[in-house]
Amino acid sequence: MLAEYFPVLVFLAISVVLGAILIATGGILGALLGHSQPNSEKSSPYECGFEAFEDTRSKFDVRYYLVAILFIIFDLEIAFFIPWALVLDKLGVFGLAAMTIFVLELIIGFFFVWKKGALEWE
Amino acid sequence: MPIYEIVFYAFSLVMLAGAVGVITVRNPVYAALCLVLTFFSASAIWMLLEAEFLAIILIVVYVGAVMVLFLFVVMMLDINVAPLKEGFIRYLPVGILVAALMAAELLVLIWSKGRFEAGAYPLPAPNPEEYSNTKAVGEWLFTNYLLAFEVAGVILLVAIIAAVALTLRHRAGGHRQNPSHQVRVERDERVRLVKMKPEPRQGS
Repeated sequence: MLAEYFPVLVFLAISVVLGAILIATGGILGALLGHSQPNSEKSSPYECGFEAFEDTRSKFDVRYYLVAILFIIFDLEIAFFIPWALVLDKLGVFGLAAMTIFVLELIIGFFFVWKKGALEWE
Repeated sequence: MPIYEIVFYAFSLVMLAGAVGVITVRNPVYAALCLVLTFFSASAIWMLLEAEFLAIILIVVYVGAVMVLFLFVVMMLDINVAPLKEGFIRYLPVGILVAALMAAELLVLIWSKGRFEAGAYPLPAPNPEEYSNTKAVGEWLFTNYLLAFEVAGVILLVAIIAAVALTLRHRAGGHRQNPSHQVRVERDERVRLVKMKPEPRQGS
């Protein structure tokens, strides 16, 4: 089984080596050929001439968090379907009933989210 | 099979380096990215154990979704590092004491079970050719661990309700479309026809 994943390993090794080469050549060539005249004005924030209004690291709105957590929950639900679908012919009606209960639990959650209006972006 | 050992040690090394990075890097966003690297290496090691399904789920759920959540939390909290460092020297003795106690407990436990001896962790026997980890997970999950599976569904439901209750705020003046209202709109709500007498043109 592991031999089937060998091409993935080859891709991984190539990308690691390529990334190392690019960073190394960039760093070495940049140090050898480039001019370096550091200046405090060069690294100060520039915003079309006026002073910056606020820090770059502004707070995220909490609504993005809600979208992300709902995504994770339904993502996990889908993940449970994959082994279930593979062995459904062995499990029979019992497996179908087990998954029906599981899905019903999450459909309740889905309707709750829907009716609360959490899926809408205002 | 030397390539197996090489791959195992390479990914273990990367995983340990990533785990050290999580707790030593100063920028919390970089720490989250180090955690991604750790998860990814753990997934590769699970793949070496022929646990394909778990390895892919680790990537999809943890790297793809949970880490995004971590990054959101990091960005939402607006962490300022300087106040966190206040009192570092004052709490250092207590911290070292707790850490040493925990490390001692772990070491004693592992030593007493003989887990440091060579050969305590033999290589798992290779599975037969037609073995499918995903099928094995399915067979066990939906029979022996059915209760845990259904409880997981309930926990997910609780998580949905908690997330909505904690973060959902309808703000005043939000512009939200109501499609059914848009469809049911009458002409009178939008246009007002006014009867008026024709007026002669000025100056003629």
